[in-house]
Amino acid sequence: MIPVSHFLVMAAVLFSVGALACMSRRNAISVLIGVELMLNAVNINFLAFSRATGSDSEIGFVFVVFIITIAAAEAAVGLAILLAFYRQWKTADIDRARMLQG
Amino acid sequence: MAGCSSDEVGPSASPSAATRGGGGEVKIGEILFYLWSFLTIGTAVAAVTLRNLYHCALTFAASLFGVAGIFLYLGSEFLAVVQVLIYVGAVTVLLIFGIMLTRNVMEKRQAVFNALLWPALGVSLFFFVFLSYSGWVWKEASQGRGGEGLFSDVYLLGPILLRPEKGFVFAFELVSVLLLSALIGAIVIARKEEN
Repeated sequence: MIPVSHFLVMAAVLFSVGALACMSRRNAISVLIGVELMLNAVNINFLAFSRATGSDSEIGFVFVVFIITIAAAEAAVGLAILLAFYRQWKTADIDRARMLQG
Repeated sequence: MAGCSSDEVGPSASPSAATRGGGGEVKIGEILFYLWSFLTIGTAVAAVTLRNLYHCALTFAASLFGVAGIFLYLGSEFLAVVQVLIYVGAVTVLLIFGIMLTRNVMEKRQAVFNALLWPALGVSLFFFVFLSYSGWVWKEASQGRGGEGLFSDVYLLGPILLRPEKGFVFAFELVSVLLLSALIGAIVIARKEEN
């Protein structure tokens, strides 16, 4: 029986790798990859806690279903925004997205 | 990179079989878990650090496949299948389409990371230390409960989502509307404007 803490540590590694991509990559697609990795780490945490705690173990399951749905919607909208940005500025580098900075 | 993902196809079937078989097979399942999570984290690191975006997308798909295996270890086969279908199937294809549509000719010469690399490394190291410490000291509330304590049945999902006394009906309908509006919004945003 694998203890829950090992799942939690594994999800922590995945989350910090995703956070690193989210903060420091220049290409917008890599930032999206980082966001998805963070969401997956959160999903692992939800399932691990729902296995570890007692009676209401289906709550974490339902939350993971919702998170997966919202992550799919987020990927679609994010890539659409990326396409619109690329069409206007001819680059996928989100450090160039400074139009709102004034 | 294709070899990397095909390497992981082999042990993918074994975790569920190993966790279900009791007795001496559990040890093999545990060893496979650590190997499996190591592969997952390794492909995630590759997806974050590689220069070529195609390689990033492929290793990202391998990492999501690994997360599906972790879901199997946590006792929910349905979510593992959903993970493979939605993430490995749909989101990765979306990402590859995005990469192909926005290919930049100057991409080769540009730096992979922006100027915030070192602060970002510090912040993510902080995340890692904080989260893994708080996960490591987590005491299991009910020791000895196996993975079978979590329901692993698709038949239960419908009543949980749709019975009013469970309280998820409104969220379920809301997330359906959200998904529809997000997809329509994605089409509207990505559409070429005609002047």
